[in-house]
Amino acid sequence: MKRYFITFIVITLVTFSWVRCTDFPVDEDGLLITTRGQCYVSNFELLGADFQTVRTKAAVIDTTAQTINVEVFFGTDLKNVYPQFSLVTDAKLDPKIVGKVDFSDIANPKVYTVVSGNRMVKKPYTVYVTVQAKP
Amino acid sequence: MQLKHYSLALLTILVVFFTACQEEEYALPTLEGGLHNDCIKRTLGPNVVGLNLEFAYAMALPKAEGKIISAQVEASIAGAPATYLENRSFSTNGSGVDVPVTVGSPSVNSGTKTEVVFTKDTCAATLRYFYIIPEEARGKTVKFTFSAKASNGQTVSYEMGPYSIAKMDMKLDLVVSDNNNSYISIADMAVYNAATAATNAANIDLVYLYRVITGISFTHALVSPASSPDYLPGITLPSGVNKSAKIWKVWALRDQHLARLQYGIFIDDLDFQELDFTGAPNYAINLRAEAGIWVETADGKYRAYIYINKIDNTKKEMTISIKRYPMQ
Repeated sequence: MKRYFITFIVITLVTFSWVRCTDFPVDEDGLLITTRGQCYVSNFELLGADFQTVRTKAAVIDTTAQTINVEVFFGTDLKNVYPQFSLVTDAKLDPKIVGKVDFSDIANPKVYTVVSGNRMVKKPYTVYVTVQAKP
Repeated sequence: MQLKHYSLALLTILVVFFTACQEEEYALPTLEGGLHNDCIKRTLGPNVVGLNLEFAYAMALPKAEGKIISAQVEASIAGAPATYLENRSFSTNGSGVDVPVTVGSPSVNSGTKTEVVFTKDTCAATLRYFYIIPEEARGKTVKFTFSAKASNGQTVSYEMGPYSIAKMDMKLDLVVSDNNNSYISIADMAVYNAATAATNAANIDLVYLYRVITGISFTHALVSPASSPDYLPGITLPSGVNKSAKIWKVWALRDQHLARLQYGIFIDDLDFQELDFTGAPNYAINLRAEAGIWVETADGKYRAYIYINKIDNTKKEMTISIKRYPMQ
């Protein structure tokens, strides 16, 4: 009786751990890999060193051309800004944003890649920053 | 064997049950004899030279044993001349208002000591002590010994502290205007007009200006003299005014000493020490009331926080308050 009970427990545990590992895989960042294949940026924000927006208006996101166009206030210190991306559910961004980013080299716009929830689709988005022109 | 275990468990449960349910009879507390005292510190935030450290010192003894004849505070560093110990004891009425009762003659400062001699026959009082932080205490620690004497010869004392006194300076409500006092010196903690700025050129760190430029948001700005002319439109700098201070714009850092608003935020010495100005610009434009800037002077000698108390677009001016920390 006791042997049957132990065998049953072991089989149950093995089954559970196997199901868990196959249904909910995680990537190298510990994030869930899901079945979602969508891959786009839904919103973009740019904050100054004071954590206030530096945008003059909403950023224009073209999900077909994979571009983000954002105009910032005259006098924005583009060497010290914090970009914020809103992505489709389960997607992630590469490279990760871990602090201030230097956007001052306007001639060479920065590229961020959106990776879908299933990690099968990767779309690079180019961020074009323009500074409000002084009349 | 099993029966033994059950008996032990039952016994334990019964003991716990009876102990928990044992009722303690209430008894009126007996009055402890002798003179007693207690003290609390009422001020919050960093201790800045020129501000006060406020304490409430309570002392009492049973009425039958005598009355209080004096209270004294001894500070390890003598307070500024305005330091005093209240000669009134306060109680709070039903409306929350503190009502004073005079219990002694006004306090007398003698060196590091401040004393109140009681003139009323009282066996309990709470006196407030206001230690005005003197210049000599800057960057040091200070501690206090509160003591009281009763008519029966008993004395009690209470130690408070040590408290660290900040190294930083503070200057409140400087008015800078676009067409007059527009030059700010962190080293002097002062504002100058063009003529006086020329004579203090080496100490000028920032220029205040207000501009309404169609198509861009410029308005109120604090800009280093060495900044790009784009950020100093229409400004002709006085001779020798050419420093480049580093500036970080800040929003909603409403230091209570500077803003005097309801926010319990205090900038302390440590905040200045840990600032990182790497890559900081030398200008800040489009500033608003209740915003501020962290500044490091060009020579790295001082770091400061300039808080904007008020802006006035019509008069083209703003009111600022400064906390400054010497780095060297």
